[in-house]
Amino acid sequence: MEAKENNQFGLEESHGDHISSHSPGAAGFVTPLTSSPILSASMLEAFFTPGLWNHRTSSCTMSFGESNIQTSTSGINCVPIGKPVAMSNRGMLPSPPPGEFPHSLPHFPVDSGFIERAAKLSCFGGGSFRGISHLGPSQSMTPPSDASKDAIGARVQKAELNVVSLPVEHGTIKGITMNNKRDRSISHVGTSNNKSREGNFCEDGQERHTGSADAAGNSSSSDLGANKRRKATEEMEKEKDQVLRGLQSSTETTKDNTETKCKSYKHSGKNAKDNSEAAKEGYVHVRAQRGQATNSHSLAERVRREKISERMKYLQELVPGCSKVTGKAVMLDEIINYVQSLQRQVEFLSMKLAAVNPQLDFSIEGLLAKNLLHSHGGSSSAAGFSQEMIYPQVYSSQQGLAHAGISSMLNPSDAFRRTLNTEIPMTSGYKETSLQMHNSWNEQLVMQMAYGANPPLNSQVINRKPDGFTI
Amino acid sequence: MKSSTRNPNPNPDTPRFGPSKLMLAFRFLRALTLVHRTAPNSSNAARSRRIQRAAFASMAYSAGPRRAWSRALLCRLHFHRARRRCARRSRAAGVPRRPSTTRSPADGLRRLVPGGTGMDYCSLLEETADYIRCLSEQVKLMQSIVDSVGPGGR
Repeated sequence: MEAKENNQFGLEESHGDHISSHSPGAAGFVTPLTSSPILSASMLEAFFTPGLWNHRTSSCTMSFGESNIQTSTSGINCVPIGKPVAMSNRGMLPSPPPGEFPHSLPHFPVDSGFIERAAKLSCFGGGSFRGISHLGPSQSMTPPSDASKDAIGARVQKAELNVVSLPVEHGTIKGITMNNKRDRSISHVGTSNNKSREGNFCEDGQERHTGSADAAGNSSSSDLGANKRRKATEEMEKEKDQVLRGLQSSTETTKDNTETKCKSYKHSGKNAKDNSEAAKEGYVHVRAQRGQATNSHSLAERVRREKISERMKYLQELVPGCSKVTGKAVMLDEIINYVQSLQRQVEFLSMKLAAVNPQLDFSIEGLLAKNLLHSHGGSSSAAGFSQEMIYPQVYSSQQGLAHAGISSMLNPSDAFRRTLNTEIPMTSGYKETSLQMHNSWNEQLVMQMAYGANPPLNSQVINRKPDGFTI
Repeated sequence: MKSSTRNPNPNPDTPRFGPSKLMLAFRFLRALTLVHRTAPNSSNAARSRRIQRAAFASMAYSAGPRRAWSRALLCRLHFHRARRRCARRSRAAGVPRRPSTTRSPADGLRRLVPGGTGMDYCSLLEETADYIRCLSEQVKLMQSIVDSVGPGGR
């Protein structure tokens, strides 16, 4: 079945640029992929290396790499792009490991080729559609494709998206069955927002891997996509939007900004074929929900708005005291005020530090130790505790002060002690410095450090004046 | 000076997010000692300026080059170092501060965040978030330094 499709669609792929490089048929389909997976895998790996100055800009390299991947794999789907983007993204967005997507189909030897085929399969509709359109509405072509698609779609739910796109665009395929599948797939994709779904989506698409899909993917060059776009009917648009939406919802969080920007310029939101083209240019696919406008511009706008709202929510968590503020304008003002206050505080503290000169040599190691203890994730209060433990006489002499100042830390003291005990062996060097620090410092300085440890831990309010600490 | 006891090994377990606190501390402290050592006779104001620049530089370095704001900040710092006052003068005088016809709500933010002028709104928000994170880390660090030095420092 698949082979037949391959042959059938391979016949029509003569006009595609990429198609010439790929021989029609399943066998020919496999061989060119074996080379490209290596390239794409290396590209993926290149993205995953966390070298600081390796990539000038994560966004630029991502888009660049993605375009490379696109050209190499002739329209790879958004999944491979999304995965490296997810990796390069900082912890803000969920980024499942790259090895995740091949899990559903472990029997496939090459994962990246797997993905490419899935990508091509997603572009399947474009190529096959074009081929079919060129030949005219040939019923002979569509039923086998439908049958294959139906069979495959029955096996893999998410693959139905691709299946749906093809017949929809073609317009001659029985839309009813397609609609059923489409609804299912749409509900599937629409509900899920994580990458795994997208990976599954592409994997499922790959499972159907047909030469036609390959050819379709190959032929999904820019001109091809453009042609496909012209032929999109209203219904197809809507379905495409839904398809794209599902993809976009999963890739949205992992999509890079620049890519999205490029996409927003060229996003048509019409065809599934645009997946390849969009994927080539870093598209984020959007799916229109029921009752929403499916215009490409409004879709891109919706994507943009969602990203903005997501970022605003994150900023709301970051800026203290903004949880109750609603509205973008007020939030923006708050954020601006906060940034201004932070900058002013840096200036003020630098003024203070300029005057601190003579004591500086003395305090470096202590500061370093304290900062290291700070860096152990919130165990800075434990630092105060540890110091007090090491100098029990100090602690007892100033116990009233200590309790008053560090009363909040008393409750989790055991936990902090445990964490500190576990952490100190790891950083034995740092412990030495702290001990030396204790040897060289007097009681007051130790308590000062304890106090100094306290405020940064407990308070996120930067507006507090530092004088309050140097009692 | 007990600098030998200072352990410069960056703790690999530390970075929970973009800016590594340890690297930030290390860089900033090193810059701080450098500032104090090289120009002990300069005025407090000049030194505070240098310290502030050092703070921003260490912040940008520890944030990494993946961030647009860190790159812009470093560019600005290097540019300023290359053309000390000329750049500032020309920038202050040459550019007429005329508000754009369409005043977007993010203009204020763009001015604050380094490198914010050339970004779209989405990336501006993201850069702002990272910038706020790094700034608060820097402030915490400086605060702890000031605190640890204690009241006898001044």
